[in-house]
Amino acid sequence: MTQPEGIEVERLVREFRKGPRAVDGIDLEVAPGEIYGFLGPNGAGKSTTVHMLTTLLPPTSGTARVAGYDVVREGPRVRAHIGAALQEAALDPFLTGAEHMRLQTTMHGLPKAERLERSRELLARVGLTEAADRKVGGYSGGMKRRLDLALALVHRPRILFLDEPTTGLDVQSRTALWDEVARLARDDGVTVFLTTQYLEEADALADRVGIIDHGHLVAEGTPSELKAQIGRPTVEAIPRSPADIERMATVLERFGEPAGAAPKGASVRLRGGESDLAEVVRALDAEGIAVEHLQLHAPSLDDVFLAKTGRSLEGAGAEQPEGSPGTPDDSAAASRSESVAA
Amino acid sequence: MSSFRATALGITWRTLHNFLGNPALLLPSLVFPLFFFTAFAGGLSTVSHVPGFDFRSGYTAFQFVFVLIQSAAFGGVFTGFGIARDFETGLGRRFMLAARHRSAIVAGYALAAAGRWLFTALVLTVVALVAGMQIDGGGVDLFGLYGLALIMNLAAALWAAGVALRIRSIQGGPLMQIPVFLVLFMAPVYLPLHLLTGWIHVVASVNPATALLAAGRGFISGQPADVALAFLAAAGLALLFSIWARGGMRRAERAG
Repeated sequence: MTQPEGIEVERLVREFRKGPRAVDGIDLEVAPGEIYGFLGPNGAGKSTTVHMLTTLLPPTSGTARVAGYDVVREGPRVRAHIGAALQEAALDPFLTGAEHMRLQTTMHGLPKAERLERSRELLARVGLTEAADRKVGGYSGGMKRRLDLALALVHRPRILFLDEPTTGLDVQSRTALWDEVARLARDDGVTVFLTTQYLEEADALADRVGIIDHGHLVAEGTPSELKAQIGRPTVEAIPRSPADIERMATVLERFGEPAGAAPKGASVRLRGGESDLAEVVRALDAEGIAVEHLQLHAPSLDDVFLAKTGRSLEGAGAEQPEGSPGTPDDSAAASRSESVAA
Repeated sequence: MSSFRATALGITWRTLHNFLGNPALLLPSLVFPLFFFTAFAGGLSTVSHVPGFDFRSGYTAFQFVFVLIQSAAFGGVFTGFGIARDFETGLGRRFMLAARHRSAIVAGYALAAAGRWLFTALVLTVVALVAGMQIDGGGVDLFGLYGLALIMNLAAALWAAGVALRIRSIQGGPLMQIPVFLVLFMAPVYLPLHLLTGWIHVVASVNPATALLAAGRGFISGQPADVALAFLAAAGLALLFSIWARGGMRRAERAG
């Protein structure tokens, strides 16, 4: 039997009439208190999987146990233990935020005395206290998402499903939501199953990541494990004087094999990993080469996706709001290493 | 609170809250029955002079019963529109996720339909009394009349819920409305059954709505008639459509 607060999926399949298999035999396990990132492009089968795990859609075959209960035979028990914020925050435009909380707390059978207090607590937690008495028809996308999250938490679920919770949000709303999700897992021990098409979201939040494509789970592990499977980081250096390009390339080749074209400088895949970077700097300094620019490119989850599926994660970056984590401005993990891509 | 009751009450509260707080929903529910009542009872009052028309409470009461039952049936159908809209916008999924027992969702909508109709019935009754409607039946008779209409409201709500849950789009509206409209208007609306002739008499003779109208008019005139048949027909329809609505919920569950 699955641990009471975990998820266990075996050979889960969902076929739609006259369509391909949206989910094609996936196996996965999510431990209690873990944040599991389910990463994949549009149409990969992420939402269909969430719908099956939340009892919204019966599987065609296979089994899934959520919180220790079978999603087909014990749907009501599963629903009692989970909260879910689906891809589109479906809210009633004629109700205020507070009225939505009243509806949700009533439907979950919270005692009358507890309803108001729980509503206030959650609205405060997601920063909607001041907007509580406004009709949600006038809420921004970020406010709707935050209210949706609050609604998913009214009955203190032990497992939370978040289906692309930050799609279309601005940086501030996205960061606030990430913080809250991380807090839920860290402080409250909530198990989180998070689907996303944003590499950085999975990287930043998930303890483990499953990559899904065309209904198949193509890779699974911690973000660092997955990146390590793909290869080593690359370092790219540009000399202050173009005359030093060849000398710079020679020095860098002591630390690894060349990695793709670097017209203004040189680039190598570090044999010893990130720890070689300090040695590289010392060696360039010892040769008297003045460095204009030096950058370490860590392998990203997109590299993992590319390596596993043969193509880049569809829409990554392109569909993200301007200035959000993951845009070219964010050099920490966003830039894809050409050596790995090759 | 049991989870079934909690879900049903939540949905009832929300539906009634929107109904009473939104003029676009509230006004049509009131205006249409009042319009029909005024048009039929007022504009067609000379029909009561037709030889053989012997309804002792007068034509206003005769038409009031039809409009009351019609408002009950259409109150149920309008609730179906709401269900379809909720599932089309995704709100239905929120309910499906929150409900331990999903039949409670239908129960919640049905309770809301009853609440909506009771409000309409109250306004309609007050207007009819102000217009001079004569009531010859006693308290028990009136209880029977409103009870019968309430069962009709339930049956119509369950019928519309079954359609709405299968189609899950407001485009299913005509499919919910037209059969109810046909059944109601192929009954003795303007004249008693014995004054109808031709094909309409044949159809009306086998139409269950005829028994409902006959019983309702019997109640208001203090001369109950076809009571058992009417309650049996109304309860039978409610039972049949509860199975239909349950099937609709299963279809919605399978569709995700």
